[in-house]
Amino acid sequence: MRDDLRTTTVKRRSVVAGALGIAATGGSGLLSGCGSGTAETGADPESLAQPPAELAPVTTGVNYPPGYVGPKARRRTAIVSEPVTFTVVVPQSLTVGDWSKNEFTRWMEQQTGIRIRWRQVAGKGDDAETMTKVNAMIAAGDVPDAFLGITFTRSQLYLYGTQNLFLDLTPYLDRYAPNLREAMKDYPEAGKLMVSPDKGTYSFPDINDCYHCRASNGRALLNAEWVREVGLAMPTTTDEFREVLTAFEKADVAGGGKTIPFGGYKDAPLDTYFMNAFLYNPGEPWLVVDDGKVRANYVRDEWREGLKYLHGLYADGLLAKDIFTANEDQIKRYGDNPGGPILGGARVYYWGTLMTLDLVDPKARWHQYETMEPLKGPAGVQVAPWDYLNVGLEVSTLVVTRKCARPDLLVRWADYQLDLEVVLRSYAGPGFRWSAKGDKGINGRQSIYGYDSWNTDETKGKTWDQYGVMYRSGDFRLAERVNPRQPTFESPLYEQTRDHLFPYRQPMEQQFPPVTLEADQAALDAEIGLNLKTEVTTSLAKFVTGRLDPSDDAQWNDYLDRIQRIGLQPYLEIQQAAYETYQG
Amino acid sequence: MTVATATPAAPTGTPAPVRETRSDRIVMICNYTALGLFTLAVLYPLVYVASASLSDPKNVVSGEVWLWPVGWSVEAFTAIFDYDSIVSGFSNSIVYAAGGALLATALTLLAAYPLSRRGLPGKGLIMALFVFTMMFSGGLIPTYLVVDRLGLLNTRWAIILPAALAVWNMIITRTFFQTTIPEELAEAAKVDGCSDVGFFWRIVLPLSKPIIAVNLLFYAVAQWNSWFNALIYLTSEHLFPLQLVLRQILIQNNFDPSQVRDTAELIRMKELQEQLKFSLIVIATIPPLLIYPFVQKHFVKGAMVGSLKG
Repeated sequence: MRDDLRTTTVKRRSVVAGALGIAATGGSGLLSGCGSGTAETGADPESLAQPPAELAPVTTGVNYPPGYVGPKARRRTAIVSEPVTFTVVVPQSLTVGDWSKNEFTRWMEQQTGIRIRWRQVAGKGDDAETMTKVNAMIAAGDVPDAFLGITFTRSQLYLYGTQNLFLDLTPYLDRYAPNLREAMKDYPEAGKLMVSPDKGTYSFPDINDCYHCRASNGRALLNAEWVREVGLAMPTTTDEFREVLTAFEKADVAGGGKTIPFGGYKDAPLDTYFMNAFLYNPGEPWLVVDDGKVRANYVRDEWREGLKYLHGLYADGLLAKDIFTANEDQIKRYGDNPGGPILGGARVYYWGTLMTLDLVDPKARWHQYETMEPLKGPAGVQVAPWDYLNVGLEVSTLVVTRKCARPDLLVRWADYQLDLEVVLRSYAGPGFRWSAKGDKGINGRQSIYGYDSWNTDETKGKTWDQYGVMYRSGDFRLAERVNPRQPTFESPLYEQTRDHLFPYRQPMEQQFPPVTLEADQAALDAEIGLNLKTEVTTSLAKFVTGRLDPSDDAQWNDYLDRIQRIGLQPYLEIQQAAYETYQG
Repeated sequence: MTVATATPAAPTGTPAPVRETRSDRIVMICNYTALGLFTLAVLYPLVYVASASLSDPKNVVSGEVWLWPVGWSVEAFTAIFDYDSIVSGFSNSIVYAAGGALLATALTLLAAYPLSRRGLPGKGLIMALFVFTMMFSGGLIPTYLVVDRLGLLNTRWAIILPAALAVWNMIITRTFFQTTIPEELAEAAKVDGCSDVGFFWRIVLPLSKPIIAVNLLFYAVAQWNSWFNALIYLTSEHLFPLQLVLRQILIQNNFDPSQVRDTAELIRMKELQEQLKFSLIVIATIPPLLIYPFVQKHFVKGAMVGSLKG
């Protein structure tokens, strides 16, 4: 997971670096040139003089499961009596359609009295092109009141925040965001994740606590039916796993010599599953915190042991030949093989990557594949890497700029969207229904809501997709009603994550948190980080496929040398400093 | 290919064809093989895209489609019309391509003609200024500022005006005028009492159809394929050209696979992409394909005359 997450980060960072370069050579003059214009606007003193907003009483008629933590439906009132208009930049989305004609837009306007003049930017909000456009706007001083769904990195937020372009929302959140304050009580880490090193909060965050995403990196599937067929049990150690794959290979379960004991594809790194039998490994950028010290996994002896194990599996033909090169279409072709399964198992994120899902037939092929528990290595290490910090709170959902005269109203507008019913409308459209007592949700407990279709032609132009400000707690997400006649994979995904992965998670202190870097560090971090990533991933593939031998001391030392030359030391120093700033 | 040359050989008097030499034949075979392979390389993707757009998306994903449609379905084409942004994008693209091509061609002709005449004072300097802009440009942000201050941001003009003259096309056009409209013709017209404007309108333009066609095609295709200006200058969906919408569909699926926050969305986007990708490419290719045969006969002539004899 981090793999792709980081690549985009790197790209984004290089865009920032690009923008910075422009700023340094002439853009800064432009910025200050237009600055006179921005200075005249700024927040109206009235903004902080309004009476603080209080948490409204909960409405009745909604069935919450006992002990529920998450958004609640509360009494809502209009924010302003006279319509006020703000200019907001949003990304383009096929699901949302034209933002100004969208149904949820109309509903929000009618309910809150706040009108939005949308400026729609092509792109998804987190790709390089969106950022090109946004950077052009910022550099040209053509700044809106706010950005919604444009993913600035933490470092960008901090940079533009300290340049006084993005507004520090701290005083506004204190006074006008009762729902957010409530949510932050549910998520104690939120406070730390929201603030920049200078203690400013430069965006209104979004909470989307996706339970199974926290464990994606440690997920691998194994064909449980095959395991039974060869007369073994689901493996729990590295040795047992090898035994199971060997048995698949020997018995040629698929028949006709077609058996592929274990497959994978290039977007799902192998190390995030297998290395965790040797040391806690969250995956790219392979940083962990060991007693307050940031360390890199890929230079440790345990990593080498892991490489030897994988090297052995590959040499024995137990891993697919194309495990490092197959793309998603290819792995799906194996998974969908007509005439019966040919894959014994695979390192994928969930069943849908492996095959086309038949959600109606209870005997559909995907039910054969079960989430493996993490394997216990020779030294007794057995970890399912759990993402406590990157999943859950997202910064940069709504970013208010200096241009905005009444930030208090925009903050209240965002806070309004954290209400349970508004979340549902924003995300699922007006067609959702409250669940009756006794309806079961994804986690098997009382469900709160349900809908017939989500993100289909039915809801096109009626929702804000996932771009709105929302509070989706773990309990909220799992309280979605499951249609007994057409159960999705959500329940098994949840259950297997809960039973097979969650119990083996590492302590939170070991996870390297999402840190904020100063502009010059960000550039350095992007550069060295990218080179390290290339070196580590290509060497991993070479060590596993046998082009390099992990047991050979000379080759291993060569590898360590290359890593040092790329600049592991300065890289770790940057991360250590950033980590300490994060810890405060 | 047999080339018959009359050679008196047999006593009967009937000319017998000269046999090709061995080496000629080898060259011929190589030629045809190479050209054939090249044609295949160009043709195959076209056929594949057309077939894929007419197949059931499932068969496309599973790799069953490789030449002809499998599981005939026109659903992908009907689905397109459910998306307002695709329909409006298509009509916008036509407006940008047609409007852009007409305006740009007019400007190109107006700039190229005077520069092709010998008597224009300061011709060297003007030409140098034009060429200068080919090498150096203000860059993204200054251009953005200019467009912003002219009040063009988020209007159709922002797409048409900044791309309204390509210096390269202007140079080709100028060379065309220099080589096909001799100075003597202008003098003769002047003697007969024709003004400069009259000469340009009544004599130069009718003689320049090939170059006009070439310019129209160049500009129209460039506008049709461009998306960057639209990305930078437009912020209202009803103004977006087709290419931006197409791009949106193609990138929308680039999710981080581990962040399967909403697996249902992932699946849905994947299906949508598979369904619309190919039909959209077909739709986006049709207009240039339709125009091309009509301009083609001028095309080679115009472009070659302009470039070769410079």
